[in-house]
Amino acid sequence: MTKDHHHPHPESAVELRARALEALLAERGLVSTDAIDAVVELYEHDVGPQNGAKVVARAWVDEEYRARLLGDANGAIAELGFGGAEGDNMVVVANTPTIHNMVVCTLCSCYPWPVLGLPPSWYKSPPYRARAVSEPRAVLGEFGVELGDDVEIRVWDSSAEVRYLVLPLRPSGTEGWSEAELAAIVSRDCMIGTAVPRVLDSAAG
Amino acid sequence: MPSKRASGYATTIAPIACGRGGPHASRTARRHRCCRTPSTRDVDGVHDMGGMHGFGPVVEAGGDLPYHERWEPRVFAIQMLVGIEGLGAGPGGRAVREEMEPAEYLAASYYERWLFSAERRLQRKGTIAPGEVESMMERLEAGESMPTHRDPAMAERILADLQATYPMEPPPEEARFGSGQRVRVKRIHPAGHTRSPRYARGAVGVIEDVRGADRLPDRAVYGEDVAPEPVYSVGFSSSDLWGPSQGSPWTVLLDLWESYLEPG
Repeated sequence: MTKDHHHPHPESAVELRARALEALLAERGLVSTDAIDAVVELYEHDVGPQNGAKVVARAWVDEEYRARLLGDANGAIAELGFGGAEGDNMVVVANTPTIHNMVVCTLCSCYPWPVLGLPPSWYKSPPYRARAVSEPRAVLGEFGVELGDDVEIRVWDSSAEVRYLVLPLRPSGTEGWSEAELAAIVSRDCMIGTAVPRVLDSAAG
Repeated sequence: MPSKRASGYATTIAPIACGRGGPHASRTARRHRCCRTPSTRDVDGVHDMGGMHGFGPVVEAGGDLPYHERWEPRVFAIQMLVGIEGLGAGPGGRAVREEMEPAEYLAASYYERWLFSAERRLQRKGTIAPGEVESMMERLEAGESMPTHRDPAMAERILADLQATYPMEPPPEEARFGSGQRVRVKRIHPAGHTRSPRYARGAVGVIEDVRGADRLPDRAVYGEDVAPEPVYSVGFSSSDLWGPSQGSPWTVLLDLWESYLEPG
């Protein structure tokens, strides 16, 4: 395989440096290529917001599960088979008609990997880390979320080892939907708190 | 067995020297990050972004993806393996990323910072020596193919660790503060890693819950043997943090170690 096969575009200095570190560790047998591949595949295929959406959908259809989720999030999330790194201390915060929750990590990029996967770039970016705590309504406005003045915004800055998942409000028009149908309208951003679930005409049938 | 993925500290911190110049003074010299920041505790810095102005909009094209280039998740995986396989030393990756020189931190992409921390932790353990990454860069640039190494057991180990859960200890029965109590975040100005964001220091909030007991990161990340202490969820009114605002106030909630708090 030629270098061009891997790199149709000119390689950046940081990419070269990253490849060199991997090469150095692999050459010495310290880090295995298949272990790196396994981690990449884990978060690209198995662990992502589809997990959190299943948790939310279950909480929407099962009141007892919802109560367990809000009381012992680790246990309730584990019931669906999810858990692991950056989900060691989960807390689920529920939106209500008068409370809207959103999550940020101003110091770094803390994020509940087992239910949401790896964070999107905007979540880790200086603008979000700076502004989510100091002007959340303006940030929500950028995401197209407009909340009434009677809604209290609660911004959770994950400054310790707790990781937060937002339980959004189940939208009207979803009565009788299956869990799978419900999960399909729970986007990643709904569970960070920068979006709210919407019923599209097509989904409503 | 406790996970090493978040820690792996508590070992000797080797001095960092990079041997600048010499055979790799060309394009790599601009990126000689390994020798710029001598102190491991000079970190009360630019990573602490809450409330800063001037960074622009949050929503931008391409921002929705976790990464954009294939090397980025591989660096993520390497950082995980450095911790779990015990290949690094010194403070964990997060505290090391905070050691970056401020302008460099802001200029670096997210996973570039992870690359920085992985390299530093490997150097502090002595797993790699200064200059070795640069030498490999030159070999790859000269056309050598990527070496590979297969070890299915290592793949199984890291998958098992990443899917295991290690909760905090439960809170002690007699925590200093209780729900509903007013507390003030102490005015501190630490030179090292801390989880007390600048924007909340000096502000008064209300205890909402006790989350559990955990070791104070300000000391634990440097390998000090400290006992777990209560971690509280503390709610702050936006007006107490930022002054008056147009429109309705909001609430900011932080998880704060007991050492950060005093009666409010």
